[in-house]
Amino acid sequence: MTLSDQSDVLGTPASGPDSRAELDHLFSVTYEELRRLASSVRRSDPRASITPTALVNEAWLKLAGSPEVAHTSPTHFKRIAARAMRQVLIEAARRRQAGKRGADELHVTFDDAVNAAATDADGLLALDEALTRLAAQAPRQAQLVESRFFGGLSVPETATLLDVSESTVLREWRLARAWLARELAVDA
Amino acid sequence: MSWARLQSAFDAIVDAPEHRRDAMVRAASHGDADFERELRELLAADAVQLPLLDRSNAEWASALLADTPWPEGALPQFGPYRLVRLLGEGGMGVVYLGERVDVRRTVAVKLLRDAWLSPARRARFTTEQRALAQLDHPNIARLHDAGTLANGTPWFVMEYVEGLPLHRYCEANACTVPQRLQLFRAVCSAVQHAHDQAIIHRDLKPSNILVTADGTVKLLDFGIAKQIGEEHRDSERTQTGLRMMTPAYAAPEQVRGERVGVFTDVYALGVLLYELLAERLPLDLSSRTPGHADAMILDTEPEPVSRAARAQGADSVAAMRRSEWNDLDVLCMTAMHKDPTRRYRSIDALLRDVDHFVAGEPLDAHPDALSYRASRFVRRRWRESALAAALVLLSAGVGTTYTVRLGRARDAAVREAERRTRLQQFTLALFTGGDEAGPADSLRVVTLVDRGVQEARLLDGDAAGQADLYATLGSVYQKLGRFERADTMLQAALIAHTRAGSRDSLTRAAFLLTLGDLRIDQASYLGADSALTEASALVASRVSTRDDPAVLLQSRILGAVGRRQEEQGRYDSATVTLQQAVARYPASDPDPLVRASLLGELANVQFYAGHYAESDSLNRLVLAAQLARSGERHPAVAEVYINLGATEFERGRFVEAERWYRQAIDIDSAFYGGAHFRTAAHLSMLGRTLVSQERYDEATGVLQRALDIQQSTFGSAHPRVASVLNELGNVALKHRAFDSADAYFTRMAKVYGAANGDAHFTVAVALSNRATGYNDQKQYARAEAIYRDVVRRFTNAQGAEHMNTGIARIKLGRSLIRQQRWAAGAAESEAGYTIVARQAEPGVSFLQAARKDIAEALLALGRPTASAKWTKAWEDNAPSKP
Repeated sequence: MTLSDQSDVLGTPASGPDSRAELDHLFSVTYEELRRLASSVRRSDPRASITPTALVNEAWLKLAGSPEVAHTSPTHFKRIAARAMRQVLIEAARRRQAGKRGADELHVTFDDAVNAAATDADGLLALDEALTRLAAQAPRQAQLVESRFFGGLSVPETATLLDVSESTVLREWRLARAWLARELAVDA
Repeated sequence: MSWARLQSAFDAIVDAPEHRRDAMVRAASHGDADFERELRELLAADAVQLPLLDRSNAEWASALLADTPWPEGALPQFGPYRLVRLLGEGGMGVVYLGERVDVRRTVAVKLLRDAWLSPARRARFTTEQRALAQLDHPNIARLHDAGTLANGTPWFVMEYVEGLPLHRYCEANACTVPQRLQLFRAVCSAVQHAHDQAIIHRDLKPSNILVTADGTVKLLDFGIAKQIGEEHRDSERTQTGLRMMTPAYAAPEQVRGERVGVFTDVYALGVLLYELLAERLPLDLSSRTPGHADAMILDTEPEPVSRAARAQGADSVAAMRRSEWNDLDVLCMTAMHKDPTRRYRSIDALLRDVDHFVAGEPLDAHPDALSYRASRFVRRRWRESALAAALVLLSAGVGTTYTVRLGRARDAAVREAERRTRLQQFTLALFTGGDEAGPADSLRVVTLVDRGVQEARLLDGDAAGQADLYATLGSVYQKLGRFERADTMLQAALIAHTRAGSRDSLTRAAFLLTLGDLRIDQASYLGADSALTEASALVASRVSTRDDPAVLLQSRILGAVGRRQEEQGRYDSATVTLQQAVARYPASDPDPLVRASLLGELANVQFYAGHYAESDSLNRLVLAAQLARSGERHPAVAEVYINLGATEFERGRFVEAERWYRQAIDIDSAFYGGAHFRTAAHLSMLGRTLVSQERYDEATGVLQRALDIQQSTFGSAHPRVASVLNELGNVALKHRAFDSADAYFTRMAKVYGAANGDAHFTVAVALSNRATGYNDQKQYARAEAIYRDVVRRFTNAQGAEHMNTGIARIKLGRSLIRQQRWAAGAAESEAGYTIVARQAEPGVSFLQAARKDIAEALLALGRPTASAKWTKAWEDNAPSKP
């Protein structure tokens, strides 16, 4: 999955890379940085808790000076990072699932299964699918959820990103959340 | 269902009191049953708990993101490879001893723990690894296989090598300097092999270079460094956290995050050599913070290796003399130069100098050498040198100065030969960002380019990138002189550009401009016109007064059109077009080189049109621009001096010409050392001015110097050598040193014969000049014999109607007439006259000579009237006294 696979309206950012290829490259770079950060935190303290928000902020600090990110605003970066973060988490969730089902012995499975976490993995995958469905109907709202939930954007940041008021952000979030809740209830 | 409608209804109702909701829902629905149901469900869902979204994502995210390493006891297996035991942990990842279960082969398996490839990059990974697996060299550890695990971790399966890292091996075996240099040589040749396949290592260091017990050098980890971000290479991690060690072998461009290239590996090998000789690293980065270490790599000059070795008390010190250490200083510093363009251009160049050192010969690297980047002045140099070449070949005449319309007399073959050599040299500069190289490297360049073509074909999925690559390859082929291939490449670029669906008309126009330029070089003017016209139209639709890139492109397109007109000899049109090009050039001066090159082109046109004063003032503008840009001591300035000198020469102002040429040569010598072929070309021109001032001895000295240089650079069987021999022969003729002249011309014929084949017209020119000598000595019979041969040769090589054939016949006629064989002589002279008169200006010396001879012959044959007509024609065309 790359940015260009998503049938979502990214819009023309006020600043940032313009072409598809540049966006994809930025996405790749961000994805890799997020994973690196996650694993390095892990390595230094196995019990440390990592929030996606913290990771995205760290990634911005790390990449802010690099050429790929040179023309990107923090907000725009975080939107892309949110997408990348989503992918990182979804992939991790899928691996959890696969491990649980005992699939793919040839490949290395990395964790000692934690049941509670496994439930979360399922839930996350369901949420991801629901979010994709939402994007088909209400792309901007889906993006809002993705940015806030996976990217940890604050309400003011989200408002800037979507160019709406903060109260609009909150209202739209509420409806989107309700929609997702309904979808997930149906699935369960 | 309109989301907006849902949203506003939802907003209004969700916080409303319970008892009012029902009514509000019905009101908002306007009888739309689907809408109502949706709204009710969503309002209800608002109350539902969604733990995932509602509570902090910290816990589950942490758990998900935790990729713990596999427990020691259970080493994984993937594909046919089984991990046996851990061999070591390095900065990049872990290395295991492994085994291929089906074939029972021992291998090394490397897992890059922190190189999380994004999904997009995983796809490319396989293709890249396949390229690396092709590397087959006794000194390179073979890559057997590669892939990614499910979580994206790249793994590599390589030949298992048991040995010591290079520096430890040298220590353990107390290797002498010659031994260390031999090991170094093996490393270099392995890296060069990889470069031939267009693979750059990027992470050369002693730990990647193992030496086995029997002394075989093995390089590891080719191309692996490409998979990871630069800042994570060579870092050491401990249990408690990260400790970053900035790579000691990182080149400045790597630290800056810029493009890497062949020159990056050259740098690393320079550091390696330093370490081998001094037994320590050039820069002490161990106790620095990463930021400080980076700054040191970029700015701090290391101590010369000789001093470092002495300070370190290295064993190597006592073993060598001071002069040898000086050479090693130069070797190391050139390889390790902070400016990539000033390093050795390739590993081969570095190797050559190592060989020079070992053999006790002087190095190629010059301690003061500054680098020179290929620039758009390339074309100007051809023109000027083609001019020089044309003058040289035709100047062996009857002894007086003359003017020939160069536009028509210019010989395509000579131009081509000149161009090929120069172009090959510049292409190397293109590839390695460095100075010009000698001819032997050109094969490698061609391999790189051909490989680039293969890679371009693989890029079908990325049409825009493919277009760019094809266009670049096109320029390179053009510079190599392989015009047909270049043309194919550029057309492929245009097709790919269309396929990319790009509406970027400026890029397309730029491709078309390059194609048009190329076609001018191929002298296919119709094709050039069609490309340039299309380019022009594309830009015209885009241009507005503030759009500088578009305006600049327009200016360049006009420049190309002007050049096309110039090539066809349409100097008036060319002048107008180029003046327009200059006028169009944006006032913001975005690219001074373009402007200077337009002015330079205009200067050339004026020169060919014979407007020397205008040409001179234009060249002075170019000179000013170039001086402002690069200062006095730069080869581009030397080139302008040469053009100024050539103009003065044409105006007959030999003293001034000499002054300009000497200045140019001064710069050349400072830049390239006294023994560079460019200096030789300029020395030849200086020689000519000295000849024109009748300072024959000095001229001979200068030309002899040029000859020596050309010989040592190109070998004795090269056209450049022949052309200097020609000059020397002419000088000898002028002061009547006939034996020398004969020797020079005879040798010239031999050299041309060896270089171009005996049937080539240049051999005929040499023989013709030789015959002139006999003519001058009044040995007409001998001259006649040679001239007959010469006429035959020219006829076969260039056609009966060619100017050279005509001139030869005039000379043959003269030799006959001098023997008083009037009829035969007149016939030859008249035949030659007819041919030459069609192509040259009437006042040309050959024609004058012919007129005189024919008049004399006709008189002797008893035809005074006819004779008088020729005499009159001679008078009419006699040059007026200054």
